Amino acid sequence: MVLLKLEKVTKRFGGLVAVNEVSLEIKHGDSIGIVGPNGSGKTTLFNLISGVYMPDEGRIFLEDQDITELPAFKRAPLGIARSFQIPRPFRSATVRENVAVGAMFGAHGEKMSVDEAMSIADHYIDLVGLGDKRLELADKLTAVEKKLLELARALAMKPKLLLLDEVVAGMNPNDVDKIVSLIKKIKEEEKIAAVAMVEHVIPAVMKFAERVMVMNEGKKMVEGATMEVLKMKEVAEVYFGTSQTIGESGDARG
Amino acid sequence: MKKYIQPLLPVLTLYIVLLGAGLSIPGLWQPIAFIMFYVVLGQALNMFLGMTGYVDFGYVAFLGLGAYGMALAFSLFTDDGLGSGIIVVGFLMAVIFSILLSMAVGAIALRLRGAYFAIATIGVSEGFKYLIEGARLWGGSEGIIISSQLRDSFGSEMANYLSTFASDILIFAIGILAAILTVYTLHTRAGYALMALREDEDAAKVMGVNVTKYKVMAFGMSAVFAGLIGASAWTLKLTYVFPEDVFNIIYTVEAIVIVMLGGAGTLAGPVVGGLIYGILRYYLATVLPGFQLLVVAPLLVLIVTVFPDGVVGYIKRKLKGSRFSKYVI
Ligand SMILES: Nc1ncnc2c1ncn2[C@@H]1O[C@H](COP(=O)(O)OP(=O)(O)OP(=O)(O)O)[C@@H](O)[C@H]1O
Ligand SMILES: [Mg+2]
Repeated sequence: MVLLKLEKVTKRFGGLVAVNEVSLEIKHGDSIGIVGPNGSGKTTLFNLISGVYMPDEGRIFLEDQDITELPAFKRAPLGIARSFQIPRPFRSATVRENVAVGAMFGAHGEKMSVDEAMSIADHYIDLVGLGDKRLELADKLTAVEKKLLELARALAMKPKLLLLDEVVAGMNPNDVDKIVSLIKKIKEEEKIAAVAMVEHVIPAVMKFAERVMVMNEGKKMVEGATMEVLKMKEVAEVYFGTSQTIGESGDARG
Repeated sequence: MKKYIQPLLPVLTLYIVLLGAGLSIPGLWQPIAFIMFYVVLGQALNMFLGMTGYVDFGYVAFLGLGAYGMALAFSLFTDDGLGSGIIVVGFLMAVIFSILLSMAVGAIALRLRGAYFAIATIGVSEGFKYLIEGARLWGGSEGIIISSQLRDSFGSEMANYLSTFASDILIFAIGILAAILTVYTLHTRAGYALMALREDEDAAKVMGVNVTKYKVMAFGMSAVFAGLIGASAWTLKLTYVFPEDVFNIIYTVEAIVIVMLGGAGTLAGPVVGGLIYGILRYYLATVLPGFQLLVVAPLLVLIVTVFPDGVVGYIKRKLKGSRFSKYVI
């Protein structure tokens, strides 16, 4: 059984087709990278999967259940969690409270009490390395810490499918390495069925993803094994307009 | 238990001080009752505006319906020999009216986001005023006067006591109840859901929060308390209701000011906001009759500019990490 199945999903904003007939299957155990130039529709795709937007056409299935019309708050308990590219913390709340909301309303079930949620939150805060910021207000965090908070919040939801939208963007190469290893480790330890990550930082994608989907102008361009896809001349061309391959350059944003 | 009691302490202490001062210092009861009305008005609106960040311009309609609920109880059931039970019936009717209206408005308007919700609610209180006057409902523009029914039910001495003293005590009781319920809510799953949706509704939804459910809940709670205030501070205290007085948007605006001034979404915020606003309003009315709004308005703008999170919001941030932080939420 596939975990997530997108069937020719389309999303328009006025005349702009942000996501254009994209089909994709994510299986249990997958680590998939989604790459593509700015504005190619990656974040919009995550918005469609997590229920922030409803598709204009196409269907979305989670473990054979049609979730196309399901509102976002009903998808979270089914095991879909995502981070936001631009962090959206609850500013007036502490780091701990932010993460606890994820535990309270995610896939743990409705019985989760506030106290239990707090201790689950502590676990994930420690895991992403924000332990000493636990009682800090979220808007006091640095940009990188806010990214980590996004990660901890999504993890606390106990997802089956974890969607990470540019978590490592803005981090230095050392931290990128650390966070990617961490995500791999967490995926195993927490038994997260699949992780999809959108990244421009190609070393992160290479290190993390076994499979990559490339998007361009809303369409799925190619999908396949990571190294093979990143070596393709067409892929380099949509990023740089040159035939230097991405695998050589390191950062797709150049 | 401690986590509920600690933040209630400052608020309850203030109530006791006000009550004590009002009872023991001659001439102070009336101003204190006047100020308490604003405190409780803010507390009731805070349950919705403060918790959700949604502005309800039709808020005073709940006050109005509560006032009518109590008045109708007297005009319908005075001859049924309910004794003092008629007040209970009046409060019940006030609560039922408020809940029904909150469900009706909530079902439609709470699907709208932020500013659209605010705009959609502007018509509600004005609409009620014109409906009652135009359709000659509930006495039309002549309203309902219950002073003779009060005398018939309780005798003139007791009726007098009820409107000059007991109705004010009821306002204190409503304030205490509101404070307890607010503290309790803040510590429950609902409290966290409301915080999340106030801060970022989309993020809250993606994290599994049924935002409509919690908005409707907060709206209903705020409506019930507004209804109780209308029933006591209006009908029981003044012994009459006129649509023009009670469906007056000025109370909505005042309540919004009180909540913002004190600190939206905090427990002590509307209490402090109501205290400041009530004192200014009362004493300026005696010093500069007719000009009080001219002075109050710029003063409030100044305070809100200096304390964008409200007075209590500011104090809360300052106390963060100190051992006093548990007392101010
Ligand atoms: N809410 C919206 N309203 C209108 N247009 C939108 C909206 N969201 C996205 N778009 C447009 O849809 C297109 C795809 O945007 P999207 O954010 O999905 O790209 P992306 O691949 O995530 O880009 P980036 O790498 O810069 O994050 C862009 O042209 C964008 O301007
Ligand atoms: Mg994006």
